[in-house]
Amino acid sequence: MALAVRTSKAGFAKWRAWAPLAVLAGLCILVSLFNSNFLTVSNSLRLLNTAAIPLVLSMGATFIILMGSIDLSVEGVIAVTAVTVSLLVANDLTGYDYGLWAVPVAIIAGGLLGLLNGVLHVRLKTPSFMTTLGVGFAGVGIATAMLGGQTVRISDQTFRALSLGRVGGVPMAIWIALSAVIVAYIIQERTRIGRWVYAIGTDETTARQAGIPIERTRILIFSLAGLFYGLGGVLSAAQFGQGHALISQGRLFTTVTAVVVGGTSLSGGVGSVLNSVVGVLIVVVLANGMVLMGVEPYIQQGVQGLLIIVAVALSLDRSRLDVVK
Amino acid sequence: MSKFDWQKSGVSRRALLKGAAGLGAAGALGLPFARQARAEETTWTLANSMRSLANPYHAAFAKGGEEFAKSIGAKYEQLVTEGNSQKGMSDIRALLQRTGGKLILNVDPNDSPDARVIVEEVQKAGGYVVTQWNKPDDLHPWDHNPSYVAHMSFDGVPAAKTIAEALFKSFGGEGGIVAIGGILSNVPAIERKLGLDQAIEASGGKVKLLDFQPADWNEQKAFEIMQAWITRFGDEIKGVFAANDGMGVGALEALRQNGLAGKVQVVGLDGIEAAVAAVEAGEFAGTVAWDPMWTGGMGLAIPYAVATGKIDIAKEPKEHREFYGTAIIVTKDTVAGYRANPGKVDFNDLWGKATGQIQYRS
Repeated sequence: MALAVRTSKAGFAKWRAWAPLAVLAGLCILVSLFNSNFLTVSNSLRLLNTAAIPLVLSMGATFIILMGSIDLSVEGVIAVTAVTVSLLVANDLTGYDYGLWAVPVAIIAGGLLGLLNGVLHVRLKTPSFMTTLGVGFAGVGIATAMLGGQTVRISDQTFRALSLGRVGGVPMAIWIALSAVIVAYIIQERTRIGRWVYAIGTDETTARQAGIPIERTRILIFSLAGLFYGLGGVLSAAQFGQGHALISQGRLFTTVTAVVVGGTSLSGGVGSVLNSVVGVLIVVVLANGMVLMGVEPYIQQGVQGLLIIVAVALSLDRSRLDVVK
Repeated sequence: MSKFDWQKSGVSRRALLKGAAGLGAAGALGLPFARQARAEETTWTLANSMRSLANPYHAAFAKGGEEFAKSIGAKYEQLVTEGNSQKGMSDIRALLQRTGGKLILNVDPNDSPDARVIVEEVQKAGGYVVTQWNKPDDLHPWDHNPSYVAHMSFDGVPAAKTIAEALFKSFGGEGGIVAIGGILSNVPAIERKLGLDQAIEASGGKVKLLDFQPADWNEQKAFEIMQAWITRFGDEIKGVFAANDGMGVGALEALRQNGLAGKVQVVGLDGIEAAVAAVEAGEFAGTVAWDPMWTGGMGLAIPYAVATGKIDIAKEPKEHREFYGTAIIVTKDTVAGYRANPGKVDFNDLWGKATGQIQYRS
């Protein structure tokens, strides 16, 4: 009897892991029933192109959420890095023209803001929620101050090719996002840090007793996330050919939604960067699909809200929950 | 008489105490007061209050105010609400306190209801205020003489109609368009949609609106919606109408990703730099510039003229109290001229660019 219960529980857990993928497949079928153009190569490329930046961002956010923390600084970090890179490539405000050398500079700037997140969070023992919210606001402030409210326009076509260029018929942004996913997957699967993240997210006390350097790992992961956001900022600037403090508006919501919808638990320890890939695709397909199906704009937002609740409800392992807060 | 009137609020209690005969006495009092005010005219503090400095419109708005303040040698403050009505109002209260009411305020209220509170506070303190864009329909400057000097706005309906027609012209006046709207409850979003609808109606069925989606003034959202439209409608799309330039740029970049930039024309409103450059590059059929330098400067220059007794605002006609500014239509034909002459603001020409009294369309 006891065995039977365990089997059914295990069966459900297994099913739960596949739920996001099933949702994605269901969505794709639904949308293509309404519009036969949906599954064409050109639309798939458009979808992936739209997904590129959210994918890069969600790679960073996944590790943080796996640790059971949250990072609300996404938009601030993107704003700083997008403005930084815009000012360093050929543009209409400064005389700099460092071409692609500006890219690592901007990504490192993102990493430094992430480092700041991590150090403040760990050393001052402030909740990640508040720390990153503060750093995020500061980031938008810094970006605003750097430009004095102006918008900087990029004239460097080599830099813009990071978004507009195509390799093998596939937009550059998609290749970059794919590389980011591979890097994140390797970190998750093949490094000690990757395993420690799960240990911390599952049970920090046990992880500490096992000798895992919790503080150092946390700081490192926040910095790593900053690097990913930095790359996201670079891609945003390349996509729109301009940098301004509000370029990242709305990115935070999409990023966190995608990670959670993909099945990574907000309580930490459960999930994977691959889940986030599925999550991003669900969010992007849903938004694209609702326009394709001609869903009323008012209803679209409601559907998005509903999706989050359903996805979280499906992916939650209730057997591990003692308290819901 | 004009000097007497603007002083009236300052001495009204005394005038009242003196009874019916006090009218003449107040006039006598007014004269030395007026002289004093002229001698110390820079004791007024000037301030612009706006949502944020992070968008080009408000950055230029602030700059216009700064330039006017510099031209008269007055102290100038920038107040930023950050989209928070409470912060906006408490900053204004603090500044009124600090200046002892000697404040000339040009405010773009975060939300319409804020305007009433701000006007009442400024009036109580004895300062002067001009509001921009947002105010309740039943709040009028002439009901709060002389403190509430004027309300300025731009009429989105004819501007959107004109720019939509420029879009239609770009593809020969016949075919399908898609339209991206702002936050649905915003007055400018409503007006711009109305102007578009009027232009479509005037085309007599030749122009068809394939789809309308709000992108909440967000270029990223506009980008994503445009991507989906390209799949859904393909080459049925002959033009793109965006309720502001930011979203128009988002749509343009989506077109560019699909090799359609320049082939499918975009229009927007607000006249941001990227849009003007896109007009020059032949990718935007046009945009509308609102002249924020002018609103930022004149919103202080007019009340300053009132405060220093140059004009008697209570005697000015209603079209000088609630008025629209001049929209500048920037198209391929006019862009060179717009670039060459970016519209210098003449701070002495108080109503030179006013184009009629504000209408209430509800």
